[in-house]
Amino acid sequence: MNAEVETGRPAATRTYRRPMSAGWWTTKRHYFWYMVREFTALPLALWLLWLLYEIQRAGRGASGYYPPSSTPFVVFSAICLLFALYHSFTFLSLAGVILHFKVLDKPVPSRLIVLSQFGGWLVASVVIGAVLIGFGR
Amino acid sequence: MSETAARKPALAHLIWWFMFAQGGVLAALLIPVHILVQGILGPLGIVKVVDRHYDTWISILGNPIVKLYLLVLISLPFFHFAHRLRYLLVDLGFPAAKSFPAQVVFYGAAIVVTLLAIYVLLTTAPLALG
Repeated sequence: MNAEVETGRPAATRTYRRPMSAGWWTTKRHYFWYMVREFTALPLALWLLWLLYEIQRAGRGASGYYPPSSTPFVVFSAICLLFALYHSFTFLSLAGVILHFKVLDKPVPSRLIVLSQFGGWLVASVVIGAVLIGFGR
Repeated sequence: MSETAARKPALAHLIWWFMFAQGGVLAALLIPVHILVQGILGPLGIVKVVDRHYDTWISILGNPIVKLYLLVLISLPFFHFAHRLRYLLVDLGFPAAKSFPAQVVFYGAAIVVTLLAIYVLLTTAPLALG
């Protein structure tokens, strides 16, 4: 990257890229949490792939199906839940920055928009939780 | 020429951003409760959950609305994940993750998961109305 900058001719316009170490995100707490937010995608993807596998296993018939109960699975889910909650908090809070609209010519306060997002999250969780538990036996 | 190029809407960009945002919202609203109930409370035996018994699980999986819901729940967030993981790699010092081939790999993987989810949902439980 340094060589690219040093060999740049004056005639050609080049973008200067400041060299950064691979561990730049460990230098500040804010950077670290920014990287955690991007990383949340990985555990969430793994958990959804597990859910798809759980659905697929039901196709093997009654004798081939057993629900997951092992401690490692619960630990895996608990870790995924922490990342899922971090994704939800950060993503739903962003709505207050992104969404701007007016009601009766007055801008809706961003706090109210964020509150409605979290309200929606609560309602969705209660409904889905009720279905998952209500149809259980 | 340049004027035409400037006026051309970035349709592909718009589509992927739309999928990124929708996948992110869906993941934020829906995933935590599934992990809590199906991944922790059910396996620990704290509550009765639909996937703890074969008959209740296969019966709800046959419902077309549940099939559609599970397809959206599983596939859409992957378009969000594809974008996030691509930029995670860029931030870790791999600018190649921005390239077109990398986009094909990451969004292609999201499309593969979508097709896989459709296949699994259609072949696992017979479609049952009501």
